[in-house]
Amino acid sequence: MRKILVIAAREYVAAVRTKSFLISLLILPLMMGGSILVQLLLKDQVDTTEKRFAIVDRTPGQKLYGVLDAAGRERNEKTITDPKTGKQIKPVFAIEHVEPSPASAKDIEQQRFELSERVRRKEIFGFLEIGPNVLEYAETLANSKTPDAQDMLELPPLPPSEKVIRYQSESPTFDAFNHWADGVLNAAVAESRATNAGLSPGKLKQIREPVALVTKGLSKRNPQTGEIEDAPNQNEIASIAVPGGLMMLMFMLILVGSTPLMQGVVEEKMQRIAEVLLGSVRPFQMMMGKLIGMVAVSFTLSAVYLGAVFWSAHRYGFAQYIPADVLLWFLLYQMLAVLMFGSLFIAIGAACTDMRETQSMLWPVMLLIALPMFVWLNVIREPTSTFATCLSLFPFATPTLMLARQAVPPGIPWWQPVVGVVGVLLTTFLCVYAAGRIFRVGILMQGKGAQVGELIRWVFRG
Amino acid sequence: MKAVVLHEVTKSFGSHIAVNRLSLEVPAGTVYGFIGPNGSGKTTTLRMIMRILHPDSGDIRVLDQQSLDAASDRVGYLPEERGLYKQMKVREILRFYAELKGCRDSKASIDSWLERLGLAEWANKKVQALSKGMSQKVQFIATVVARPELVLLDEPFSGLDPVNAEVLREAVLDLKRDGATVIFSTHDMGVAEKMCDFIFMICKGQKVLDGTLKSIQDTYGSDTVRVHLDGNTEPLDDIPDVVKVADFGNWQELRLERGADTQRLLAALMARGKVRHFELAHPSLHDIFVRIAGPGVEVNQHA
Repeated sequence: MRKILVIAAREYVAAVRTKSFLISLLILPLMMGGSILVQLLLKDQVDTTEKRFAIVDRTPGQKLYGVLDAAGRERNEKTITDPKTGKQIKPVFAIEHVEPSPASAKDIEQQRFELSERVRRKEIFGFLEIGPNVLEYAETLANSKTPDAQDMLELPPLPPSEKVIRYQSESPTFDAFNHWADGVLNAAVAESRATNAGLSPGKLKQIREPVALVTKGLSKRNPQTGEIEDAPNQNEIASIAVPGGLMMLMFMLILVGSTPLMQGVVEEKMQRIAEVLLGSVRPFQMMMGKLIGMVAVSFTLSAVYLGAVFWSAHRYGFAQYIPADVLLWFLLYQMLAVLMFGSLFIAIGAACTDMRETQSMLWPVMLLIALPMFVWLNVIREPTSTFATCLSLFPFATPTLMLARQAVPPGIPWWQPVVGVVGVLLTTFLCVYAAGRIFRVGILMQGKGAQVGELIRWVFRG
Repeated sequence: MKAVVLHEVTKSFGSHIAVNRLSLEVPAGTVYGFIGPNGSGKTTTLRMIMRILHPDSGDIRVLDQQSLDAASDRVGYLPEERGLYKQMKVREILRFYAELKGCRDSKASIDSWLERLGLAEWANKKVQALSKGMSQKVQFIATVVARPELVLLDEPFSGLDPVNAEVLREAVLDLKRDGATVIFSTHDMGVAEKMCDFIFMICKGQKVLDGTLKSIQDTYGSDTVRVHLDGNTEPLDDIPDVVKVADFGNWQELRLERGADTQRLLAALMARGKVRHFELAHPSLHDIFVRIAGPGVEVNQHA
């Protein structure tokens, strides 16, 4: 045991002192902070050159053009500059009136073509054509149904062209104008329809006032007072972000904790350090020392991260979403995962003679580590489904998926994490045992890497 | 007491027999030299003594222990393929190896060894800054820093310049003076002749020599004559009784047939030129090595 600890201490110091440890310590906050920073920086980096739009209003009296023009002026005056800095942050929308062509199909086509040509010549950015009948409405709505997820990819059938607002441009991804115009015009259309139906615009506003939908947990009875307490508010974002974040952290800690082990073993083989060490320690002691050193390294990382998460949770008041018992499970899973995957990485390192060779052996293991990442959203949305339960009992996925399921309120039956941990313990034991056998033979092998068949033989016959 | 005892030890890799029924006894407190051609089984034997490899059959006892685990802290091993962690400082790496051997208070030992091998000012430098010779000396210190009773050195002097080789040779002899048993392998017959109390030669996995230098040379008898002739340009191998001539330029080494008449040889040489030197000698270890392991020689057990 003393020798294992001496090796572990050296591995720990060697790993913590490297630049790559510092990088892995900083990478997560940097990536998160960085993306926020980049977004903040790039928020102002929009193209603020004036964009010109031609409007063809075919409604009787061209009333909607007037509304749009007025709204455009107001927008250009009030909302395109940052009130604090006075800097322009949005482009000016210049609205140009175009007299509608005669209503024959041919003339309409001709006008659309001419306007398209103007877009091509960059005279205007796009043009909007308001159908003549958009202000009318049917007394009863025919078969309107809310689109579900299945239909999202299929385009709904278009209403007749007289009843649509049509926007044409050669920049389909620039949607600021059509969103803005959509809002302005639909509000105006609704107002006009309401007036026609004998409602005052003020009344319409009252009618249209939305009703809030509040998500809550379950009500419970306080065991001391016997009174029923109101259920706590539920924040959907937090209840997805917390398990998701814990999973990501676990995923990262496994990678940060395991890959250096493989590199270390390959280095020891290439630099011919391994045999010098084997003069003093058994191969199994050497491997266990490395594993324990790496568990310590990954605990250092998680202490920093979880500390930071706790601090910010308290500061920004979302501490209630981080259940303390889940964090204890987190540390247990983390230790087992680093041992389990770390021993696989060590075995790969021992079987190969240089880093290049490790690549092809690595991908099945990487797949095992990444597997939970493919299904995490489904598992978090429905943590008690048979699919989620079964998958989280698969030992290689348990440390991430079981953890995520436990982090989603109200949690899962107590026996499931216990069964999961037993499975992980057994698998870890098998992995460490097999890796120890491979390590013992592979560590002295020079020249060429081993084939999978050879590795299996080493495991069973030594 | 015997430091190492091997009894009928065999080790094969696939169909290749690396070491074949080898028996060997290394007395405590001696310097034991392993010689033999490349690939003859020296390193395999050393690795088996270290239990890095396990013999297919036979027994190995080290420092009177059946299992090396019980004795491993008392044994120092410098393998032929050796490296150091490049990012570590010299003193750190030496302390690490001392701790692996259970030696907690290693500072005095490290300091005295660094001083002795001229590395004191490199103690706090990283290993990657050292030259090859310096790294080799650091590796040697790492092997002996925990004061082992048995030291195994696989080719300890290879690649060293004469000055550093001399420093290491002195250090090895100091180990012996301090009571340690030293086993080392070498290709340098001169070093083996000068340093070893016992010499063991292995060839194609079999023991071919084992004993003191004198006993080995006695086995080969005085069948060698070293001569220096002035004014002779003709080859000497047509002289009767001469089996083989090794020409070293200024002097020649003649191997004679068993029972050859040296007076008759001297007369024949005098007929060729002026004899400056005529010496009846034991064959050198180098000569014996070549006789055993030279091309076309069938291995059979000599000792």
